[in-house]
Amino acid sequence: MIHFDNVSKRYAGGHEALNGLSFDVEAGEMVFVTGHSGAGKTTLLKLLGIIERPSRGEIVLNGADLGRVRQRSIPQVRRGIGMVFQNHRLLMDRCVFDNVALPLGIVGAGREETAKRVRAALDKVGLLDRERAAPATLSTGEQQRVGIARALVGKPPLIIADEPTGNLDPQLSVEIMNLFAEFQQVGTTVLIASHDLHLIRHMGKRVLVLDHGQLIDDFRPQAA
Amino acid sequence: MARARPQANRLREAPPANQSVPRQRRSLRARWSAWIQQHRESFRSSLRRMVERPWASILTVLVMGIALALPLLFYVLLDNARALSGGLREAREFTVFLQTGEGTDAARRFAAELGQRKDVAAVVVRTPEQGLAEFRQLSGFAEALDVLQDNPLPNVLVVSPMADSRVGNPALLEELKADPRVDMVQYDATWRQRLSAILEFGARAMQALTILLGLATLLVVGNTVRMDIQARAEEIAVVQLMGASDGYVRRPFLYAGFWYGLFGGALAVIAVGLVELAMRGPLLELLASYQNRFALHGFGWREPLLVVAASSLLGWLGAWVVSTRYLIAGRPQR
Ligand SMILES: Nc1ncnc2c1ncn2[C@@H]1O[C@H](COP(=O)(O)OP(=O)(O)OP(=O)(O)O)[C@@H](O)[C@H]1O
Ligand SMILES: [Mg+2]
Repeated sequence: MIHFDNVSKRYAGGHEALNGLSFDVEAGEMVFVTGHSGAGKTTLLKLLGIIERPSRGEIVLNGADLGRVRQRSIPQVRRGIGMVFQNHRLLMDRCVFDNVALPLGIVGAGREETAKRVRAALDKVGLLDRERAAPATLSTGEQQRVGIARALVGKPPLIIADEPTGNLDPQLSVEIMNLFAEFQQVGTTVLIASHDLHLIRHMGKRVLVLDHGQLIDDFRPQAA
Repeated sequence: MARARPQANRLREAPPANQSVPRQRRSLRARWSAWIQQHRESFRSSLRRMVERPWASILTVLVMGIALALPLLFYVLLDNARALSGGLREAREFTVFLQTGEGTDAARRFAAELGQRKDVAAVVVRTPEQGLAEFRQLSGFAEALDVLQDNPLPNVLVVSPMADSRVGNPALLEELKADPRVDMVQYDATWRQRLSAILEFGARAMQALTILLGLATLLVVGNTVRMDIQARAEEIAVVQLMGASDGYVRRPFLYAGFWYGLFGGALAVIAVGLVELAMRGPLLELLASYQNRFALHGFGWREPLLVVAASSLLGWLGAWVVSTRYLIAGRPQR
């Protein structure tokens, strides 16, 4: 599913954010990426979404060499990835339903299909009764769940999340993580950047540890 | 922390490094309906956005309307001036007085000969009889003329050169003058040239003005759309992360540019129509002084359509340039 081969990323300023990264993720795996602040977690996820291009090395996602994907094919790659952000990035001038429907509008899904799938996604995150609400009227945890519903509504084979629980209290964090674990159960590959070591250990999934742009560990803790 | 290692270097076949991304196979029908769906959405949302920010929209439309109305007004004026000058055809014609020895038949032959020329539009023969009759009508000399034994008037050819001969067609003139059958040639070349030159200048000035103000409308729409884009930068970033194509991102702005152009153009046409209406009275009086030989040249249905179509296109183009620049600037670097 994901194949990193000796990948490095040097930003325009000359800073080497990632250095010689090599690893594989199988389809249907759930993997945490952790490490100190500035270790390169976000950069790694950005490379997957072709928000940044690698300076060296090869990244293959679902058979596509991301370093060589042409500009006009980038949207096609991104449609196969559901992205969840720390600050959810919901559009505040639209209701919950319209936010979740966004990825479907991009591929031009019909009205009925859109309604069906948006409701299914909202149901999964337990917010079916809030579909007409404005995002600003939701709690932080609810907003994050809307963001997750938006990421999964297009049924992408891969979900990547950058610190999805960064703003949440411990109990909400566990709920959100369990939500991701559910997606893994139905075959979705899930990649989550987080530095909540306690939570990561609790989940008992595979963990990639970054340190100054290098992969220093790759292990699976026993579930607590 | 218990560890289940080693997983880092598991042997595994690398997936084939395809260069192209496998396209989602979708039927033509599904793609078509998706396309329609997205256009319908952009159509609606772009209009909704204009209504949501009425002042910005109205201002843009107003500026566009005025910028377009100016060359349009100029065009209408020029068109009428041209019609007026066209009415003063006499000034453009050579009046060729033949030698008195030349009979009417010879005059007709000469006229036919001239009529063959490429630089001659028309030749009219005026016989001495016609001339005399005209003279009789115009002047109070009817009785005096009766006294005359024979008609002293020569045959006259009224030669209209081809319309576009701006310099007064010196070749034709010289040839006519040199012809032994010709007594004298009367024309008003300087006046004619001056008028043509003024009209030509007006046309050029209008073209320049049109280009300048067309450019101005492009900038006005471009600037408005740029501000629209900035206001929606976060939305654009988010939909791009979800796989929106450049076309998808651009579409609502192209619609917006189109609307600005359409409404601006319509406003310009209405404004010019009103000015025309206001000018109608004085202009008709002026025309009356020319014995109503000319009609007022107003707008037909074609010009307004053309103007609105052109301004819509300009609006679309301005939006396209600005949004494309924005998209290119946001592309990931290596
Ligand atoms: N656009 C950029 N230009 C230059 N340097 C950058 C850019 N983005 C990130 N960096 C640098 O690259 C390094 C890795 O950044 P990254 O955001 O990947 O870290 P992170 O592991 O996500 O950190 P955090 O836990 O704080 O989010 C940092 O030193 C950062 O300063
Ligand atoms: Mg980060």
